[in-house]
Amino acid sequence: MEVTEAFTKVESDTSTNSRNEFRWLKEHAIAATKQTASPARQGWRQRLRALCVVRGRGRPLQYLLGTEYFGNLEIVCKPGVLIPRQETAASVTYLVNRLVQRRSQLPSRLRVLDLCTGTGCIPLLFHDELYSAIAKHPRLELLGIDLSKDAVRLARLNWQEQLKDQTNVRGEKSPRVQSLERTNFMRANVLARVASDENPTTPSVEGLLSDASASGEVRSEWDILTCNPPYISPRAFNHTTARSVRNFEPKLALVPAERPGLSDDEAGDMFYPRLLEIADFVRAKIVLFEVADLEQAQRVAEMVVSRNAFERVEIWRDDPSQVNDHHDHTGDLKCVRLRGEGNGRTVVAWRAEGLDWLGE
Amino acid sequence: MQKAPWICATCVQRAWRPLSRRGMRLQSTVASQTADISPALLTRARTVAQQHASIEKQLASDFDVRAARKLGQTTGITAALKEWEKANESLAELNALLKDSTTDKEMRDLAAEEMEPTRQALSAATAALKTSLVPPHPFAHLPCLLEIRPGAGGSEAALFAGDLLRMYTAYCSNTGLRCMILKYEDADGMADPRGSDAPLQEAVLEIENEGAYGRMRSEAGVHRVQRVPATESKGRTHTSAASVLVLPSFPSESDPSASGEENWDDPNSDYFIDPKDVRTDIMRASGAGGQHVNKTESAVRLTHLPTNTVVAIQDSRSQPKNREKAWKLLRSRLAQARREAREEELVAMRRSVVGVAKMGRGDKVRTYNWGQQRVTDHRSGVSVQQLGDILQGGDELEKVMESVRQWLGEQEVLGLVAEEEIKAKEEEKQKAKAKA
Ligand SMILES: C[S@@+](CC[C@H](N)C(=O)[O-])C[C@H]1O[C@@H](n2cnc3c(N)ncnc32)[C@H](O)[C@@H]1O
Repeated sequence: MEVTEAFTKVESDTSTNSRNEFRWLKEHAIAATKQTASPARQGWRQRLRALCVVRGRGRPLQYLLGTEYFGNLEIVCKPGVLIPRQETAASVTYLVNRLVQRRSQLPSRLRVLDLCTGTGCIPLLFHDELYSAIAKHPRLELLGIDLSKDAVRLARLNWQEQLKDQTNVRGEKSPRVQSLERTNFMRANVLARVASDENPTTPSVEGLLSDASASGEVRSEWDILTCNPPYISPRAFNHTTARSVRNFEPKLALVPAERPGLSDDEAGDMFYPRLLEIADFVRAKIVLFEVADLEQAQRVAEMVVSRNAFERVEIWRDDPSQVNDHHDHTGDLKCVRLRGEGNGRTVVAWRAEGLDWLGE
Repeated sequence: MQKAPWICATCVQRAWRPLSRRGMRLQSTVASQTADISPALLTRARTVAQQHASIEKQLASDFDVRAARKLGQTTGITAALKEWEKANESLAELNALLKDSTTDKEMRDLAAEEMEPTRQALSAATAALKTSLVPPHPFAHLPCLLEIRPGAGGSEAALFAGDLLRMYTAYCSNTGLRCMILKYEDADGMADPRGSDAPLQEAVLEIENEGAYGRMRSEAGVHRVQRVPATESKGRTHTSAASVLVLPSFPSESDPSASGEENWDDPNSDYFIDPKDVRTDIMRASGAGGQHVNKTESAVRLTHLPTNTVVAIQDSRSQPKNREKAWKLLRSRLAQARREAREEELVAMRRSVVGVAKMGRGDKVRTYNWGQQRVTDHRSGVSVQQLGDILQGGDELEKVMESVRQWLGEQEVLGLVAEEEIKAKEEEKQKAKAKA
């Protein structure tokens, strides 16, 4: 039991949780040792001790165990790609629940584009939730895009895992599996514009989508645009991120690439104007963007409102499904509605066409 | 009732004709020959039988789902009553034959010979009638959760709680019941039951088979252990205890076609839980959240505000899984609590009439004595010498459990008698009032 001592140093979480972590690591060590068929009886204990030491030094548990739960999915995680967060799952689930409530209004062909897709967790969860509610939905199409090669590789791996599992359970012919078959993950740079392509080896999103649609692979119109972009400002990165995030998760996933002459807020907000441009390009009827906190949510909501292209704007908190009784106000943005409990987490907006799907 | 065909043991059947030819009138001796069934219960059975007949008539003219369901409930009682009346009449007739001086010897011998089997048939019919009157426990058909917690007695109690958990797990596997550990917490918090070396604090075992509640109901209460703890140097015997709760387990998806009680989504159901009354705390790290932190907390805590019932589950890394488990446990606990509150009222009412034993969660139900290798159940009074077999969940445990199930059945009949007597008294009072 002395191994737990290495553990007391684990940052953030409570002591009961380090007990839990210890148990999970132990289960993992035993399972992993069994798999490698190590002849040493002591095998798993040594492995566990090593795991505890590195965990004690701050390495994220999910990288050690190799997965994280995201809604009902178990997503494979690898160093170099951001670990999915529970809040992200909560907003995806809530979005799908709202869509499902008005299922009769949903088009039979629904297309979801996820930018900065990382592990691919958002489109895969969207798929899982939608088909759990509407098993026979005729045609859901998903595309995930990321700049990082590692991310796209990992997203494809997660997608293949899902495809394997679901084919086993539901059979090739089910709409659910057919939809997964049509899913795709590609590389593109969200920040690059078609005109001023900074990195010629990676296309811009518009470039990728036009090329792809020219080759008949994907059309360039997408109904729903989701994105959890890097949104942490340089200052916040140094001051408010947890050590295990700062030291072990890829900075590319957390902080927008530095550009001279921007205020700290502007640096953190860098992706959102581009995301709105892309939303216009693909004629997204619904957009869902994750943000760092209520302040950033309000700035992003303001950008959305000032574009005059959206009928409704909402800010969702960490857990949007919880009803909150305290009267929230969103500052000057009287038309923006706040939902749920917790920190400001997601900005959601929809155009006139989206009204039928999400309601007033 | 007089018209009931008299089909009894074969030989007496032969005697029927000559008897009736003699034009002999049978007096109804029901009141005097109720064997050991109380008049109150009998009245109740007859009322049900009358209802049954009228529902049948109604159903013949037009079909109604409700009525059909009701009919299902009354059929058993009506059939049992018929059986009982048949047996009772047989006995009455045999008695009449024996008393009648005109009966010839041959007939008399025949009747005397038939006396004993007929008595036996009557007492079997009486038992069956009584049990038919006891409404089935509303949870009996459900799967169940078994909660085990150490009581007074420190780590010795915790060890014993662990013994009980192993006993029930073994019992399940011996008898083909599917079970799994829903929650296992030792003194250090959540733990893996296979690798925990700290004393057990709380374990919840889920038994998934339908009817598991009815089967395990006998186990609820305080189990006491008498043994010399491993840590005791002077060899003194210690007494400690662990408590076992048996809770109904509802399917995780509410079945809208389920009868009112189990459909907890239905606000009219007794087991309805208004989601607004439940506060969910997902123990999230305080502070920024989102990309800033990478938390591993997946614990879910539910608080049912009106009753302040708290359920916390942190077993799995998956929050949705923990949430599902927590809801399951909360539903089970609230349903059991509501049921107990109702039973409490009933028992209080019944006790004013007769001494119905009350066995609540605080009562000692069974003692496991290591020194004598003996297990005694204090309700049924059954004592078994094979402690080892019991702890391995073997046939001896089943034997003890069965004795308790019977005891529970008897208690319920007693309770029913008390209830009927109270009703009868009330009616009399009403009548007296009406007269006055
Ligand atoms: C915060 S992570 C989100 C990952 C995933 N969607 C999730 O919610 O867990 C941001 C992702 O954006 C990607 N990214 C960073 N800069 C990008 C860019 N210019 N274009 C496209 N993707 C980029 C990173 O590789 C990273 O995977």
